[in-house]
Amino acid sequence: MAETSADTPLVEMRHIEKYYGRVHALHDVNLTIRKGEIVGLLGDNGAGKSTLIKVLSGAVPYTSGEILIKGRPVSMTSTNDAIDAGIETIYQDSALVPQLSIARNLFLGRELCRGRVLGRLDQDRMNSIAGDLLKRVGISKNIPPTTPIGSLSGGERQAVAIARAMYFDSDLIILDEPTNNLGVAETQGVLRFVREARDKGHSCIFIAHNIHHVFQVVDRMVVMRRGTVVADDLSPKTSTIQDVEDVITGDHVAL
Amino acid sequence: MTDPATTTGAHPPEPGLARRLIAKPEFGPLVLLVVMIAVFTAINPAFASITNIGNALTFTVELGLIALAMTLLMTAGEFDLSVGSVFGFAPVVMWAFFNAGILPLPVAFVVALLIALGIGLVSGLFVTRLGIPSFLVTLGMLLVVRGSALWLTSGFPQRTWDAGEQWLAEVLVGDFFIGGLRIYMSLIWFILLAITLHLLLTRTRFGNWIQATGGNPGAARNRGVPTKRVKVILFMLSSAMAAFAGIISSIRVSAANPNSGTGYELEVIAMVVIGGTVLTGGRGTIIGTVLGC
Repeated sequence: MAETSADTPLVEMRHIEKYYGRVHALHDVNLTIRKGEIVGLLGDNGAGKSTLIKVLSGAVPYTSGEILIKGRPVSMTSTNDAIDAGIETIYQDSALVPQLSIARNLFLGRELCRGRVLGRLDQDRMNSIAGDLLKRVGISKNIPPTTPIGSLSGGERQAVAIARAMYFDSDLIILDEPTNNLGVAETQGVLRFVREARDKGHSCIFIAHNIHHVFQVVDRMVVMRRGTVVADDLSPKTSTIQDVEDVITGDHVAL
Repeated sequence: MTDPATTTGAHPPEPGLARRLIAKPEFGPLVLLVVMIAVFTAINPAFASITNIGNALTFTVELGLIALAMTLLMTAGEFDLSVGSVFGFAPVVMWAFFNAGILPLPVAFVVALLIALGIGLVSGLFVTRLGIPSFLVTLGMLLVVRGSALWLTSGFPQRTWDAGEQWLAEVLVGDFFIGGLRIYMSLIWFILLAITLHLLLTRTRFGNWIQATGGNPGAARNRGVPTKRVKVILFMLSSAMAAFAGIISSIRVSAANPNSGTGYELEVIAMVVIGGTVLTGGRGTIIGTVLGC
């Protein structure tokens, strides 16, 4: 595969506008994600973070603007468009089906089948691939891939979802509040998976309310306020948590 | 990378056979069934008689056919209250066409099934496209379909005794004896369909989608599973199964009564739920439903 030139961004969103009826949810949003970087997306409730990632994952249509993937304009009209374009979104509550096994969740919507007509599942192959994958991401070695997701801990679930994105070779993994409701050790585990994904060449958008978690993992921070991007190149190395909080709340304008 | 040989050793010890059996969702209904048979036989030994078993197999199978399809629909997180009225309506349509000399019986049979599929399609589209809860949609459909059956027949049963010479009637409800036990063909249909739908639910991609649609609709949608299409197909299946069961019943009792099937929707849902399928969707078992019947 021809490598796109190094300066072509992985994802470029240009002048994205989104109206929900008369509510102006996104206002001239420009966002660039480069290959192999973790971008923290920050903003207060209602700042437009979730609308932005829903647009990027094809879950809601945008009113106007342009999305380019590896320099090529694409139309995002369904979640399948986004998945085909290499964008995988891991939502907090709607990433996995608790009643289904780990293996079935990994392949949900992309099942391996024997024979096309009947769609008979190739459970052995799915289970063995899932087993290998679980070992590779290093979640506890004694969980068989036939375990239902419902009996896993929150951290293990995030790990399965991230492993899925890595297995299907998504270029961009969007994580919506992946550390919510997790204990300290589990949070560290999830942050480790995110770094591993980056080291393997996947880009990530990391959304979290807990700025401490964001600071530990991201290369760059983008801040949204009132439906628009107000800062898109804050570095965790040069700014302090206080600086970022001020940008989020808008206090720095008053200064 | 770990050595593959170590992985099996790292698994927790396999639970014993008994424990695994108890953990299955079908275990509860199985126990219930065994206890029930034991208790009723103790109260009245005639319960276990050949005649009674034959009767039970005949009557429950007709409800059971609907319950099979309803299991899949409820696993996908919806239910259908109109099955009882479709059970009454489909045979009325079939016999009306046949008795009036408009259509030969097999064609009338197919037409009745197609109409049932259409009823399921309409319910499914109302639920998925307009976002109206299936409770309201199918309750409305129950009244519409029952009303149509009554209007079509002016409330009178359709005669079905001409069925005797029809091969279709034999295939659907012909009977034969095993020892003293009278078995109707409908039991064979029930067994075949139960096996097919069980394999569909547990072994196929579509079955996986059914479980995902009921288990976490958001996740299923995010993974590109066509949850709306899955639901519409299952509404159509349950409606067609209700029609199929109704037609079988009408041939067996030699009358297509527009009022038959009243209240069946609740009995069917009870069978499914007793069988271990959860009302909220996501988990369902055909084996359980079979026991629940």
